[in-house]
Amino acid sequence: MSDAPPPDLAKPSDPAEPRARILDRGYRPYRGPRTGVRGSVVTVWRQSVQRALGIRRSVWAKVLPLAAVGISYVPAIVFIGIVALIPEENLDAGFELPSFGEYFPFIQAAVLLFVSFVSPEILCTDRRTGMLGIYLASPLSRDSYVGSKAAAAFSVISLITIGPPLLMLVAYVLQGVGPDGPAGVAGSFVRILVSGVLLALLYTAVGLGVSSLTDRKAFATAALLLLMVVVSSFIAILVDEAGLPAELQSLSLLTGPFALVELIHGETASIEGLGLPAALVGLGAWTLAGFAVTRVRYQTLQVTR
Amino acid sequence: MPVAAPAGPRSPEADPATVVVRTRGVVKRWGRTLALAGTDVEIGPGVTGLLGANGSGKTTLLGLLLGLHAPDEGAIEVLGLDPTRAGPEVRARVGYSPEHHSLPPDVKAVDFVRHVGELHGLPRREATGRASDVLWQLGLGEERTRPLGTMSTGQRQRVKLAQAIVHDPVLVLLDEPTEGLDPVQRDDMLALIRRVGSEFGIHVVLSSHVLDEVERVADGAVILHAGRVVGSGSLADLQASSSGGVVVHVVGDPTPLVTGLEERGYAVEVSGDRLFVAGGDEVFDVVRDGLAHVGLPVRRLEPHRRSLEEVFLSSGLVGGQAATEEGYR
Repeated sequence: MSDAPPPDLAKPSDPAEPRARILDRGYRPYRGPRTGVRGSVVTVWRQSVQRALGIRRSVWAKVLPLAAVGISYVPAIVFIGIVALIPEENLDAGFELPSFGEYFPFIQAAVLLFVSFVSPEILCTDRRTGMLGIYLASPLSRDSYVGSKAAAAFSVISLITIGPPLLMLVAYVLQGVGPDGPAGVAGSFVRILVSGVLLALLYTAVGLGVSSLTDRKAFATAALLLLMVVVSSFIAILVDEAGLPAELQSLSLLTGPFALVELIHGETASIEGLGLPAALVGLGAWTLAGFAVTRVRYQTLQVTR
Repeated sequence: MPVAAPAGPRSPEADPATVVVRTRGVVKRWGRTLALAGTDVEIGPGVTGLLGANGSGKTTLLGLLLGLHAPDEGAIEVLGLDPTRAGPEVRARVGYSPEHHSLPPDVKAVDFVRHVGELHGLPRREATGRASDVLWQLGLGEERTRPLGTMSTGQRQRVKLAQAIVHDPVLVLLDEPTEGLDPVQRDDMLALIRRVGSEFGIHVVLSSHVLDEVERVADGAVILHAGRVVGSGSLADLQASSSGGVVVHVVGDPTPLVTGLEERGYAVEVSGDRLFVAGGDEVFDVVRDGLAHVGLPVRRLEPHRRSLEEVFLSSGLVGGQAATEEGYR
């Protein structure tokens, strides 16, 4: 038992001190503003981006996305380091920095790994865990749900399709080895944005299309990797052995998109004979196909029965 | 604010303003399976049980009410809106707890509930506060930061209920909310549902195949069988159907009354001073006259309140699976 004297109930308390506390507020109706469909889209986008990047998740869930993003920035950081540490005259003599168009082959493996991981994580998980039913029981429609998921996948993939070359551009400009004049810098900036957006759109569409066909993340990831490797190998064989036109290589998911980036930057494509229109058609075809598959799949998906 | 006197399903002439859900001739097919075969339902305020065996069309009906599918025929109205055309508006005012138990295992309960609150239009700050509040209200205050994958089935069912009401909906649709619960958890969940319907002021449609559950918490019921409504109304009306006979409690020896009734062809079951007399609408008058004739004091005379199980069985229903197209036509 405590020896402390009991509180003097008769003594008036300090008026500044709260005299009572509410321990149970009960159920409170909500009469405030609501954010509507736009708010629903934003919250699904935010949650999906966080999920894909492992934010608010276990350490293990963060390893793969952060490693892939990190790897994709490593060449850019190395090139920036070279520019910063090695005198310009030495650079001119023995080393040529890669152009913005030549950057992606350095990070091809990281891009493929990241792309084949992101969309399944964003799309398959909801069907696997039953969250899809809860999402579609909200103000979201099927289209706005898929749209917010696509926006999330696009945002995350953009981290590696826009971020590294943009970082290089900024660093090169700061070091004085970037494009000449404001017009040159602005031109490079626009080309980096356009090529990064197109790559992100392509991989978002293809990733969502494949992921919409299975509930299992592992299957979707494996299928995406297989699709990219097998289709590209098959096209390469058709062009090299069967003598089909080189433009067909625009449909390759490994080399076609990166060749398009080179063409956008005004460089010679690594695929001989491939022009900008054909490269755009190839990318557009895959992008449309991916989004079409996703939309049809989600329009016909049974959520409750 | 507590809801006004709950009324359960409404009669066809009910005030349209108080009808929460109304369907007219709704038909829904899944391929060759006829899930709903011209369903007419009117549900009023309060807690309403949607009863039926597995495969009777309950979940399909809930999906239609949410606007997740369009009916092949017929019209639906939820809170005065057509969910087929105004799905987002309807769903913003409705909460839904699905039947399945799987929830994202690595997400904390409070994050999950907050996310669903934001989905339904709550600003982020408000959703955060309400998620904690609702979990406290449903007895998960201490558990709210646990990942869903580490929770018991009973706790996950409560989380599902919490996410369904976090945005303060007008109506909440609960699909088999006691599925997988042990008897104690089931009692707790039913008490919570009753609280949601009365204290929280949210209309509830409770889908279940367990008659006893509906009987315990609902104000009314809609009974589905093979995609058809075979009974609906307030629980009292359903149970007091006149075809169920009367129950009479007498003071003294009931033998003369029993003999008189049996001579007139009425079956009488005697249990102490309590008599159950089977019959149609006229049995009330017959028993009253019999009591007066033998001069037997009476303590109580009331319609026989059948259990929902008796109501269900009296419909001649066996099974309850959705009909085939041929069966419907």
